[in-house]
Amino acid sequence: MSTISTQLRNFKEPTKEQLTQLFFSLPPTLVDQAEQDGLEKMEINAIVSLSDDAEEDSYGGKLHLIPPYLSFLSVDHKSVRFTIPLCTIRRVEKLNARAGVYALSLALWHGMKVVVQLTSLRPTADLFCSLLRDALKAELQKGHMKLVKGFSKTCYSETLVAASSGMEENPSTQKLQQEAEQNSEGNETSYHGGLGLKYKFPGDPRRLREASKIKLWTKYLEKHGRNLTLLRYPQCTRLTQVGLPNRLRGEMWEVLSGSIYLRFVHPGEYLRILEENQGRTSTSTEDIEKDLHRSLPEYSAYQSEEGIGALRRVLQAYSFKNPELGYCQAMNILAAALLIYMSEEQAFWLLEVLCDRLLPGYYSPSMHGTLLDQRVFESLVQRCLPMIHDHFQEVDVQLSVASLPWFLSLFINSMPMIFACRIMDCFFCMGPKVLFQVGLAILKINGEKLLEIQDDGGFIHLMRDYFASLNESAYPDSQDPRSRAINRFQELLLISFREFSTITDDTIHAERRKYRSEIIYSIESFSKRAAVRNLKSLERFTKDQGGLIYDALYRAMCIAPPPAPVLPPPSLILGSNDDKPETRIGLKTFRVFLSEVATWARDEKIIVNGFQERVDREVAEHEFIDRLFFFWDTACRGALSFQDLVSGLDGVMFNDLMENIEWFFNLHDKNKDGYLTKDEVLTLSESFLFIFRYEVGDAYLGAISRFMTNAFEYGDTLLPRPEGEAEDSPPPEIGHNQPYLNLATFRMVVLADEILESFFETDLSASFRLEPVQLSDLPAGNVGFLGDLLSNLATDDNKKLFNRFTDQIGKTIGKHQVVHRPAIGRYKTLEEPKARESLLTPSMRRSPSKSTLSESSTITSVPSSVSISTDVSGQSTTSAPAGHETSPMTMVQTANAALMERTPFAIDDAKDEEEEDEDFFGDEDDGVMDEVDAFLEAHDNGLTQVERDVAKDLLNAKPVS
Amino acid sequence: MADSASGATDKSVQVKLVLLGEAAVGKSSIVLRFVSNEFQANKEPTIGAAFLTQKCRLEDRVLRYEIWDTAGQERFHSLAPMYYRNAQAAVVVYDVTKAASLEKAKSWVKELQRQANPNIVIALAGNKVDLVQPSASTSGTTSSESEDEADDATATPEETAGGEQAESLRQVPRDEAEAYAKEAGLLFFETSAKTGEGIVEIFTEIAKKIPIEHILASTRGAGRPGAGGRPGAPDGGVTLDENAAKGKDACNC
Ligand SMILES: Nc1nc2c(ncn2[C@@H]2O[C@H](COP(=O)(O)OP(=O)(O)O)[C@@H](O)[C@H]2O)c(=O)[nH]1
Ligand SMILES: [Mg+2]
Repeated sequence: MSTISTQLRNFKEPTKEQLTQLFFSLPPTLVDQAEQDGLEKMEINAIVSLSDDAEEDSYGGKLHLIPPYLSFLSVDHKSVRFTIPLCTIRRVEKLNARAGVYALSLALWHGMKVVVQLTSLRPTADLFCSLLRDALKAELQKGHMKLVKGFSKTCYSETLVAASSGMEENPSTQKLQQEAEQNSEGNETSYHGGLGLKYKFPGDPRRLREASKIKLWTKYLEKHGRNLTLLRYPQCTRLTQVGLPNRLRGEMWEVLSGSIYLRFVHPGEYLRILEENQGRTSTSTEDIEKDLHRSLPEYSAYQSEEGIGALRRVLQAYSFKNPELGYCQAMNILAAALLIYMSEEQAFWLLEVLCDRLLPGYYSPSMHGTLLDQRVFESLVQRCLPMIHDHFQEVDVQLSVASLPWFLSLFINSMPMIFACRIMDCFFCMGPKVLFQVGLAILKINGEKLLEIQDDGGFIHLMRDYFASLNESAYPDSQDPRSRAINRFQELLLISFREFSTITDDTIHAERRKYRSEIIYSIESFSKRAAVRNLKSLERFTKDQGGLIYDALYRAMCIAPPPAPVLPPPSLILGSNDDKPETRIGLKTFRVFLSEVATWARDEKIIVNGFQERVDREVAEHEFIDRLFFFWDTACRGALSFQDLVSGLDGVMFNDLMENIEWFFNLHDKNKDGYLTKDEVLTLSESFLFIFRYEVGDAYLGAISRFMTNAFEYGDTLLPRPEGEAEDSPPPEIGHNQPYLNLATFRMVVLADEILESFFETDLSASFRLEPVQLSDLPAGNVGFLGDLLSNLATDDNKKLFNRFTDQIGKTIGKHQVVHRPAIGRYKTLEEPKARESLLTPSMRRSPSKSTLSESSTITSVPSSVSISTDVSGQSTTSAPAGHETSPMTMVQTANAALMERTPFAIDDAKDEEEEDEDFFGDEDDGVMDEVDAFLEAHDNGLTQVERDVAKDLLNAKPVS
Repeated sequence: MADSASGATDKSVQVKLVLLGEAAVGKSSIVLRFVSNEFQANKEPTIGAAFLTQKCRLEDRVLRYEIWDTAGQERFHSLAPMYYRNAQAAVVVYDVTKAASLEKAKSWVKELQRQANPNIVIALAGNKVDLVQPSASTSGTTSSESEDEADDATATPEETAGGEQAESLRQVPRDEAEAYAKEAGLLFFETSAKTGEGIVEIFTEIAKKIPIEHILASTRGAGRPGAGGRPGAPDGGVTLDENAAKGKDACNC
């Protein structure tokens, strides 16, 4: 049976602020915590310079204070960026510089000095400084500064730099450097590393030019910080694009993806999760077991218990941390690749960042992220490579059959490990757009052959052959040996980043926005079809009706989500795959469900206020509804499944008169002995009252009162008399919960009344309507000028605001009117139908017993004419909270503002840039830098010459004493 | 993969076939047995679906099966339509030692009958019958001995069970499944990827039932059915004739 998830409906597009935080890889929980602690965020224009010996330009951009982090992004959005935990800032000094220049010098843990010139107006800069001071103080108080030292020992970069730092002598930073060296003392081999350290890294280290890469990185990390304090200058991106050195790769992945911040602030959490869940099994752990031996099985570590054990622990720990996602095939491949380069703890946190932020929704139970990005990729292909797209359409080839695994396993499953790792390097450094860029480049490179394929199979074969040839020369026939030396993988990256540089983060976000609802709709209708198909029985409903019931259930679950199924305690689980959790709803959700399908299960108020007519709908609450819930819960589980609802509705919607009477009787016969007790007769009458509560006129009330009189008369008459007593002797005393009225008698009483008869004949069944209730189902005829405005209001919130506003005006001008909509609505006027002649023969007629009378007085306690309450006095019948009184004028302004604020439609502005750039390989020396230069892109530091001079000056400025 | 990528260039008829069924019922093993006549622990990680091809001979006709072996995990279910769309044939697999797997198979059948190509030929395969047969008959088929080592027995702990014990492992009676298959209009087989029992038969019977003329008519460039067919099997393919038993030396193509 199926589980129904409403997760997707609740998706909210990230705000601009959230996007910024995502961009800088900030852990949301920490940022939220800081916010709760009263620390404020702020962004400010700034020019950032780095201590002279790093030989870096100064860059203009935006500095973001998002406690507990300080982040920077240069104007061109790519050249320079950093995210620094505030606790790694050791000293902040205000610099004494030219007049009108406001600058700070930040000394970081690793000895670099960053000079930031705040280019905003002085008060703004002052504010920024004071907020920074507050945030730093908070970090100091929490003792976070002290954690840096211990943590940095877990980073390989420290060992690397420590080993080479003896050679460096630079007076300006010497003191700080010494400090840093002291800090990293006693740092033997406690750094984290992957299985590769023991089982060898894939690829030939010489051909990978490991040694020279390490040298270049060591130099970079010395000057620009490392691990927590890494400053990302253009060189960092370029060095990453030519492939990270194996030993440093794990740490750089952590740093570039930002997962290092998670590991930093959650020390010991990984081991704790493993310990707390030891021995626990679940569907996820079972699925993990099945896949352990097919995760990069060709790598030697995964032929040993050491490697398999590590893989098992990381995947299990993640599934325990995030049980909702659990485990999805393909995560095994990611984790296996990560573990070659990083420790279990590092891989665990990187997996979290992958599932949560970098590949959002890819591995969730609905895999909506995967489907969405496949759709986005398809649309990018259509835009950038229209010929290929058209050909695929023509021969009916689906892009996803090949591209799905590219995205889902970051190409690890598609190309040789050494190449997949290089794509991952770029992916962690530059973000998810890389997957799209590489995907497009693959298609572009194979363009001609792709235009010849005829079916999915041909497509797959072509791609397989291509990936197998990545090692070969891209230009085997070239005269130039340098060109011949370029292999097809290098060609792939070059084309990815040069020709598809127009694909940016914004492009991806905009495309995702565009297709999200389409994808959600298709996932939802897919699971709907499956749920209807998998019902054990549709009963007498058609498939479409089954679908409508599903829709009502779904809407109810959106409004009142059922509690998530609780994981049983570890000891109790025997982990059986057969017992898949089926979605079941509790009473609360059921009430909403019923309000969707039964007219009497909702309170509908028709509100007229002179400007608009609308219906306000609320879920009714009554014992009768709860009774129905337990009546339909035939398996006594305290919760209803989709099947229960279908069967339950079937039990009432197709009934004729007699069946309905019986159904209603059984519903109230709690112990199912075929008799109602006196108490149950009263409850049943209350059910009538509830169902008829909004009917116009007194007809129904009369019918109920006659019903009660008759029921008790018959009941008493038909009670078995003790042996020997006459038929007309007074009825025996009988308890309130003794069997009293049987079905035959009940039927007779009901049929004695025209109203009740027609209720059971047609109205009851007809009060169930599967078609969705229209939200505003009143014709827009007489709504006036504000009515047009209403149709322009986009969100529900806006509508509520508008409704309150018009009600207010309506009351002031005396036109506010509220009418309850009846559930049956048979009588439009107040005319009352006649009761039938009583069927009782005079001899059977008996005066009702005293007890009956006193109890039947409950009727009077029910308000008798709730049906109409017209409000002309200017007082509200809707219960608006007192605090919400707002003057009409501001309301109009708000409504207008809400209108203006609607997000404009995203305009596709990515162009198909067709640069033919043939001669990108320069003629420098062989070696890494050669390839680095191939990636060299013009970068714009966004500064004029004058600004540059000021920035240079500042590097030699003295602090203000 | 010496074979040229596009199937339309040779005279063979291309048949798209998809394997569906609960995880670990033996889909990949069945394909492996069919394509390379091997049985071993599945080493290929499947993301979405694995794609394999196998050429076969049926009487005077060459068929080229394009096989999509789908990933078993439940959450990949919503991706399945991508693989069964346009499929001419489907093998829905369950495990005779796991009753729940037949339920899942039935739900796949329902889905295929409603969502897939209306002419799709569906075969129901109850796999792992070797587990419920007396051990004597298990050795009846050729060349399974050497491969027993390769089988790391993750799902077959009861391997050594004797006849009666073995029969008690069975959770799905043959009659029941067969009756269901008949009612739903499916081909039915009990198979063992381990011993090879019933595997080639699935593909033979499917081949017979597929409206080949229909496919030929709709495939351009392949309009000469059976022309010039040699009596022997074409390079390394499986021969699907009645005398197939001798020709079990199929290899990967
Ligand atoms: N005894 C036995 N085991 C089998 C048979 N077919 C598959 N298996 C085992 O069942 C497990 C799952 O097989 P696999 O082909 O991966 O299943 P899939 O998930 O449906 O593709 C593996 O351990 C196989 O060795 C069979 O016919 N007999
Ligand atoms: Mg498989």
